[in-house]
Amino acid sequence: MERVALALTVNGRAVRVEVPAHWTLLEVLRDGLDLLGTKEGCGEGSCGACTVLVDGRLARACLALAARAGGAAVETVEGLAAEGRLAPLQDAFVRHGAIQCGFCTPGLLMTATALLADHPRATDEEIREFLSGNFCRCGGYTLIMNAVRELAGRPAGGAERGDA
Amino acid sequence: MILRPFQYVECATVADAVEALVAHGEAARLVAGGTALVPLMKHQVLRPDILVSVARVPGLGAIEPLGDGGLRVGALATHADIAHSPLVRERAPLLAEACGRVASPAIRAMGTLGGNLCYGESASDPSPALLALRARVRLTGPGGERAVPVVDFFTGFYETALGEGEVLTAVEVPPSPAGARWRYLKWTPRAREDKALVGLAAVVALADGMCVSARLGVGGVAASPVALTHAAAALEGSALDQSSAERAAEAAAAEVEPVDDLQGSAGYRRDMLRVWTRRVLTGLAAESGRA
Repeated sequence: MERVALALTVNGRAVRVEVPAHWTLLEVLRDGLDLLGTKEGCGEGSCGACTVLVDGRLARACLALAARAGGAAVETVEGLAAEGRLAPLQDAFVRHGAIQCGFCTPGLLMTATALLADHPRATDEEIREFLSGNFCRCGGYTLIMNAVRELAGRPAGGAERGDA
Repeated sequence: MILRPFQYVECATVADAVEALVAHGEAARLVAGGTALVPLMKHQVLRPDILVSVARVPGLGAIEPLGDGGLRVGALATHADIAHSPLVRERAPLLAEACGRVASPAIRAMGTLGGNLCYGESASDPSPALLALRARVRLTGPGGERAVPVVDFFTGFYETALGEGEVLTAVEVPPSPAGARWRYLKWTPRAREDKALVGLAAVVALADGMCVSARLGVGGVAASPVALTHAAAALEGSALDQSSAERAAEAAAAEVEPVDDLQGSAGYRRDMLRVWTRRVLTGLAAESGRA
């Protein structure tokens, strides 16, 4: 089986890893580097659970071929917290209860990170459009919207945590 | 889901890719962004032994102006690149709009225009836009380079005019007529990120209220993206109004051969095409005009 040697940057750290040539970036992260934050949901690019940033752009790790990842700068959910402190977006997810089972959360955090980098004052429509590719099967979209709204500098709307 | 083992060949030039495709024949598949190919490989619909990548070919994603007022979009330009490109938004805003409606943001950031077209899927968003814009594609193969009008590129259900060893290198979009009005309408009966059940693109040019040129393309309805020539003919030479919009909508519904699948029956697709053709055209008629 053909293998490829990759040198890439993951969450700001230079790493070298040798993996089978038919792996995806998701397998490089989870099985090659033990970074288990990035999840596999559908495995075909629809659900968003494996969303990471590659060279600052949104990417589905389950579709990105490992053989192409050489030289890339990859950011995963593990890179959001700095010095043991949650990033403001993560903190907002916790406070708004934008997490139920948590499986979709890493992908949502990375997608929202990309959204806020592009649109620091994102409108509801922009938030919905960006998050449209991240499925939460617990159905926690209202609380997720509220957490992202807070970071976009706007008040929460709809049901809040603790509402019946 | 895991992939079957394959060999990965990263090409430095299009010529290298053509050579590798010719050398390996049916065992090889061309890959760029991978958003279409990788899921097909995971489901083992395709089982290539060799992936020939053009993802790192320098310059293949360039978006450039053409001297005639049109533009050239390199095959590796992603849907997000095109949707956000000031040049595309100025010269072919319909294409930018359609590319901005592909799937979801992460897929738009990965998937390329060339890959989208070569997949040959009916429910492609850029394809009907390129039909309405009368674009052409540039192909490079073992026999050299050729240009193919997009209307001749889609030949059937997931089939294209690509020959053995050919690589799509660019899309060329001619300038739109002065004062042309345009619209891309994506009808998804369920969620926003779904594929189009009707993806309707229209470019209509008016002079003194009369339609002097109309071009319509639709994806998601028939087995491949198709130009709606009868609907366009129903508009040309008429005022753009409720009456001509209804005639064009009837013509569109009559000229397609809709597919019938779990997303929608043939009759539903035909009905939705009729409805959206009428609504898009009456919407364009109500506009004060935009370039």
